[in-house]
Amino acid sequence: MDLDKDNANPTILNPSDLPSRRHESNAGKRDDGGSGLFDDLIPPYNYLSDPFDDPLSASDSDDDVVETIDEQEIYDLISTIADPEHPLSLGSLAVVNLPDIHILPPVSPQSSISTVVVEITPTITHCSLATVIGLGVRVRLEQALPPRFRIDVRIKKGTHSTDEAVNKQLGDKERVAAALENGTLMGVLRKMLSTCE
Amino acid sequence: MSTPTPTLTHLATLSPPSSSRTWQTAPHPSQPIVATACSDRSVRVYSLTSFTLLHSITGGHKRSVRSCSWKPHTSGQSVLATGSFDSSAGIWRKEDSDTLAHEVREVGDEEDEDKEEYQFSCILDGHESEIKCLTWSPSGQYLATCSRDKSVWIWEELEDDNFETVAVLQEHDGDVKSVAWHPEEDLLVSTSYDDTVRFYREDQDDWVQVAMVEGHGMTVWWAEFEGSGAGKYDFRRQRDGLEERQTQHIDALEQSGPRLATCSDDCTVRIWRRKPREGAQHQNSGMPSIIRSAAIDEDWYQEAVLPKAHDRAIYSVSWSRTTGLLVSAGSDGKVVVYKEQWRRQDSNGASNGTAMEGVEGADGAAADTNEPSPTEWVVVAEIFSAHDVFEINHVTWAKRADKGKRWDGEEMIVTTGDDGEVRVWTLDEAILKA
Repeated sequence: MDLDKDNANPTILNPSDLPSRRHESNAGKRDDGGSGLFDDLIPPYNYLSDPFDDPLSASDSDDDVVETIDEQEIYDLISTIADPEHPLSLGSLAVVNLPDIHILPPVSPQSSISTVVVEITPTITHCSLATVIGLGVRVRLEQALPPRFRIDVRIKKGTHSTDEAVNKQLGDKERVAAALENGTLMGVLRKMLSTCE
Repeated sequence: MSTPTPTLTHLATLSPPSSSRTWQTAPHPSQPIVATACSDRSVRVYSLTSFTLLHSITGGHKRSVRSCSWKPHTSGQSVLATGSFDSSAGIWRKEDSDTLAHEVREVGDEEDEDKEEYQFSCILDGHESEIKCLTWSPSGQYLATCSRDKSVWIWEELEDDNFETVAVLQEHDGDVKSVAWHPEEDLLVSTSYDDTVRFYREDQDDWVQVAMVEGHGMTVWWAEFEGSGAGKYDFRRQRDGLEERQTQHIDALEQSGPRLATCSDDCTVRIWRRKPREGAQHQNSGMPSIIRSAAIDEDWYQEAVLPKAHDRAIYSVSWSRTTGLLVSAGSDGKVVVYKEQWRRQDSNGASNGTAMEGVEGADGAAADTNEPSPTEWVVVAEIFSAHDVFEINHVTWAKRADKGKRWDGEEMIVTTGDDGEVRVWTLDEAILKA
């Protein structure tokens, strides 16, 4: 039995119930040329569409640049991350959920920095792996998104006993940087992210 | 409001840049060079005359170099301390050579070759986890280091390469993010993940906490003291035609001595000031006076919150030693320059409230809350996306030394970013000389 696991019997969502562009499950999302398929074409850990790499989009207005990546794409990037203790994805465990992903536009017209806010829902309120899961989400997005995105990963309010402490750690760039130089932790993260293809 | 804020002019990017994140850049105390702490485990020494790389110091640290600091008042050699995520600090030395000797050096024997490089000199072990910051005291007598292990260490160099630990201060409840020394006194400050700023002094051979301030409410990333004798060059230098309350304010500031600037995850920059001692009725910080002399305790209180100009964490703030201007930078990629001036009378009383906020957090110090400070801080220059879309980890003032220098003692701003670049900026003469 899985006695060593924090939550031995998590709720698992049916893959066909997970949000994706093909199901039109989220109202208001336009079909911009089948970018659901696009995800399968791009190699992992590459910038999706860096405006500075592409002279065409760089000449576009700020609004267009912001729209090149939407919440569904963020979801697709992180929902496939493997849970550190179950052979399941964060999407199917409902740890990451589309309605809890928000892209905030630049705060000033003079700024080109957008913010991605991801709220994660640990499977149980005392899950000791919440920090590692949050770190995995942050690292995945830092590696996959262009650098103009600031990534704020937080525990959804009320879903974890020490959410504020975990949020503070996940928001501390120096701690995150040091964690990524830690071989053991990187091993865990690499395993979690190996399912993101 | 309607006139656009002046911007900073990009003078140079130090070349070649690092291929990965750079954390901090320390200008040499006397030579036109800087040392940059890099996440690729190296330190890069660049010239501020040519803006090019002079030396790459490698092979010492096993993880990111997070911080570096030049020892002041060395003669004949340069001494650099480096602090790393590998939890150790390194000391490096290089014989100073004039440029002539540099050019003459061609074939050179081995010994001369060695003199041209930074030599690893010794390692300071003791911290249990990543060193976040280190800095020499102004006299060069002490080196302070701080770490994620929640401690601050003070080292004293008894003779070359013989360092003694004179204090291990474990007051903080979280990572210690930065340390800073008072410019005139052996007074040390540390800032932390526990949201506090703490002050330490030596008391009968023991270093102890003498003050603690709260107010930021989130991680305090950096602290820097005002320069010594700032009254001679900042808004205080012109004393003619001042009102009496302004003269009184200047005199009180002189009594307080250099102030402290801190910046935080809470997106604010704050100014802290020491309450001048008033004879016997001095407050202590809660410790019974049987254990220690209360006379050493200090009262620091919040004097001002600078105008909000950042919308993400502010990682660094620096106080000019020649103009009194402050500069801040952080996660939002902005660089902002602030100036202190006499508060304008016509601003209908309720202006900006710089002195009104957060005084209750001043460690029990009863600051005069009723009257707004006679001075105010205003933004005099700013630039967005100073490192394109990347975060800025550090900002500092440095003496300009290139051919384009406009006057002796001109200062410029040096920023260090996640893009691996160190960029150099100048300001309008009108701002620097105002």
